[in-house]
Amino acid sequence: MNILSLFQNIFAPPRDLILIILAAWIGLTLSEQRAPRHHVNLNTLSNLLLVSLAGFIIGGRVLYALENLAIFSQSPASLFSLNTSLFDQWGGIIIAVITAFIYGQRVRLPLWHSLDALTPLFAALAIGIAFSHLASGAAFGKETNVPWAIDQWSARRHPTQVYEIFASSLTLGLILIQKPTAKPGYEFLLFVALTSASRLIIEGFRGDSTLILGGLRAAQIVAWFILLIALIGLDYQKRSNQENE
Amino acid sequence: MQPILRRSLYAVILLAGLVWIFVSADKTNSATAGRIPAPQKGFLAPEFKLETSNGQTIALSNYRGKGVLVNLWATWCPPCRAEMPTIEKLYQEYQNQGLIVLGVNSTVQDDPTAIAPFVKQYSITFPILLDVNGEASNLYELRSLPTSFFIGRDGVIKEVVVGGPMAEALVRANIEEIIK
Repeated sequence: MNILSLFQNIFAPPRDLILIILAAWIGLTLSEQRAPRHHVNLNTLSNLLLVSLAGFIIGGRVLYALENLAIFSQSPASLFSLNTSLFDQWGGIIIAVITAFIYGQRVRLPLWHSLDALTPLFAALAIGIAFSHLASGAAFGKETNVPWAIDQWSARRHPTQVYEIFASSLTLGLILIQKPTAKPGYEFLLFVALTSASRLIIEGFRGDSTLILGGLRAAQIVAWFILLIALIGLDYQKRSNQENE
Repeated sequence: MQPILRRSLYAVILLAGLVWIFVSADKTNSATAGRIPAPQKGFLAPEFKLETSNGQTIALSNYRGKGVLVNLWATWCPPCRAEMPTIEKLYQEYQNQGLIVLGVNSTVQDDPTAIAPFVKQYSITFPILLDVNGEASNLYELRSLPTSFFIGRDGVIKEVVVGGPMAEALVRANIEEIIK
């Protein structure tokens, strides 16, 4: 049994969630350590995370139930089931963002400072998700004969999950070596730019992409537009910094 | 870095991104999902042929054209026991709409004498297949019990649920998807 098989056996779903929880814990520790340099109160930041976590869990489940109202009306007890499959992930994320935004406004948390403080958490979570993909075999690569190909789903494939781990680790490393900047929001925008750029590149090696318009990969197009916005934001910040100097 | 240099760099990055989008486009839709068998959502369900406790041989391919729920289980597994009544209840409700349930007992890691009492205790009416040599368990890369594969009428796996017990809403939502 090779290392990859051993890893996949240990962290086979649903145990792959352990990897995401571990990454969240490391990311949270890093964010807490770096919160003072972004002038963000630690307690307020922790409360923000708790509130948005509650929004994510409750929102994701409630939205899933609303999407499947006829089914849940026949078995309403399922609303409280521990099955993680009964969950609308994107709905949960949207509700978490809205909840965090409302809470942040109420306690007057500075938006860009808070996003900078939370960036190590986001970057660490991206690594955890990449490891969970490797464990579950999700986000798999297209078939290839490259020497570093791995056996997955009955074929030799690009190890896109490993590419993801490298790219997200590099992103976290680059975030952590940043010096405090005058303009808030820089670290967050850098994270968004690096993450969207790596998604744009890695998606080209995926074997499970959603294809549109004659074979274009939908995720790459979305990533390109997010990269464009992040680069415009970074340019604006640099320009403001230079003007201030 | 000078603003002009910085913006030129950003423009080059964006242009390179655009070029990569077109270069890496999958024009022939070469994705293997849906074409080759693998125990993953989006792939063809791997074929197996197993005997029931009555000695009848059942192949998965016999049920192409129907929605099939393949549930891998064992008698000693508490979540498997917990979800059996739900699966049986929904089998009764949906079998006339084209649902087949195949309960694949992982006999290779179970006590064969415990299977018949288990079936009787839970009044199971769907076929129970005996995976004596672990053939189906290996084909489906079984790592946790129970594991359920929801297979559409086209033979493609629509959902994989690892672990349990599955909530009724989860089973019902997936059954409605595969019998479409």
